[in-house]
Amino acid sequence: MLSSLVPSLLAQASPEELEERISLDSQILTEQFYFWTVVIMWLIHVGFMAYEGGAARRKNIMSTAMKNILVIAVVTPTFYYFGWYIYGCFQEGWPKSGHASPDALEGFCGLTAPWSAAMGPNLQDHVSAVFFLAFLLFSWTTGSIMSGAVIERIRLSAFLILTATLGSAVWILDAAWGWSSGGWLTTRFGFHDAIASGVVHGVAGLFALGVLINLGPRIGKYTAEGMTRTFRPHNTHLTLMGLMLIFTGFYGFYAACLVIQSTAFPGWLNIYGSPTTLGAIAFVITIGFAGGFTGGWFASNGNPFWTVSGGLAGVIAVSAGADVYHPSLAYLLSISGGMVAVWSGTYIEKKLRLDDAVGAVAVHGVCGFYGVLLVGIFAGGYPTGINNVESSLGGQLMGILAFIPLAFLPGYGISWVLKKFNLLRVPAEVELEGLDMAEFGMDFYPEFERVPEIVVEPDGREVDGAPILLDSYWATNGRAPAPTAGERS
Amino acid sequence: MFDAFPYDAWSEEIADFWTFGGGGSTGTWILTALGFSVMLIAFVWFVIMENGKLERQAQALRASGALDRPSTGA
Repeated sequence: MLSSLVPSLLAQASPEELEERISLDSQILTEQFYFWTVVIMWLIHVGFMAYEGGAARRKNIMSTAMKNILVIAVVTPTFYYFGWYIYGCFQEGWPKSGHASPDALEGFCGLTAPWSAAMGPNLQDHVSAVFFLAFLLFSWTTGSIMSGAVIERIRLSAFLILTATLGSAVWILDAAWGWSSGGWLTTRFGFHDAIASGVVHGVAGLFALGVLINLGPRIGKYTAEGMTRTFRPHNTHLTLMGLMLIFTGFYGFYAACLVIQSTAFPGWLNIYGSPTTLGAIAFVITIGFAGGFTGGWFASNGNPFWTVSGGLAGVIAVSAGADVYHPSLAYLLSISGGMVAVWSGTYIEKKLRLDDAVGAVAVHGVCGFYGVLLVGIFAGGYPTGINNVESSLGGQLMGILAFIPLAFLPGYGISWVLKKFNLLRVPAEVELEGLDMAEFGMDFYPEFERVPEIVVEPDGREVDGAPILLDSYWATNGRAPAPTAGERS
Repeated sequence: MFDAFPYDAWSEEIADFWTFGGGGSTGTWILTALGFSVMLIAFVWFVIMENGKLERQAQALRASGALDRPSTGA
């Protein structure tokens, strides 16, 4: 009945009324599009929780998972109260005239304040709220990237302070500068990072690096000579499934990075307002996974963890140019990304002696900035943004130079202050016993018999972990191990 | 059928309607201030609550002697 009613209603409408209805349809299409990207992006957080929970030892499962859940509890309000405002109003560096910031999207700054009419139920604005939500999910992702690196010894409360800083201030400021239509890096230097290799992954990885330097390694991670031991994940299957869920969520992330323009050619714009298509970026992400898995597999000699992490690294390496890359180029570059992640991850763990439990600095930090650099080499000359400034190696380097201090210094500085107040790391006794008993008072596999904890020595021998962990504890008199060295006897 | 409902007038009147007032009104300012304050208090409480749990457990473990270095004896 309804289908027969609609043509008759349209037949009665004037051209002006039809135009108004098409405009409303277009807005509702946009509203639905971003809403569903948000739903898909939730899977990234399901994935992070499974990934890190599986990578943790049995004694730290819930404390690890709870970090991922409470990211949502703290990043959501902080992003609502000030993060979104930073994105709207700091695109030219600092706000020039409060809510009337002369950015590319006129009046956008004023729509981002928490008391703005655009942030509530507003029948004349179907887009602002879902656009905010898509960015909020980006913020959760950025905050979660650091999460895996610091598991099994960071205080939950310290992590929440750090993740709120990263998710609601640091990354969103760099996004305002280099991931918006009015960002100064793009309008002046042609900085091009279409699907956020640098602005999300690179920045989060570098922030995590600053935290890791102050946090120090897990007790027993390094021998007295500085050689690396390996802690067995309690459930590798869960870790791999978590990564696959993250990959699924990435399709929503990629889609949400585009702007839909349903009534104008070509229908899709990248975040800078330059034309692209949804199919183009979906192609690049898919072949990016294929290349990343391949690179990770060969560089790690078939290690399962690094093969799957290599897939993530491969995608991150091609994300910056995903709107313009040919699929074959994306395949080749993502293979290199998977390899770079393995090599840099090994270097960070064994040479720098930074205990990054899931390789986040390598996969996100190193490969994120690597991806930004690749655009300057392989997509130089491509016009970017509303001023059509050509992408270039110089412009990409300008972005990297702006982001490195912006990402590293807050991570290092805030974790340093927390450490000075003894609020960064759990007491050594709690770390040895496992965080779950202290935080929640229970073991989360109650029906399963406890077995000795296994530690893999640098020579590959699997041994009972208890004597090793206690030796390390006594060697440091119950203090946290030195950040970048083996325990001294 | 659809024209019977005064959609245009209705949408104009509550275009930016919120609980306790429209965007930028005193009501929304007060709600924003309250929400922001609760958020800050939550952060402080996260720190205090966890610190108490961790210190109690660490103290209990130290007192139990389970982590003491064994005496070599003489």
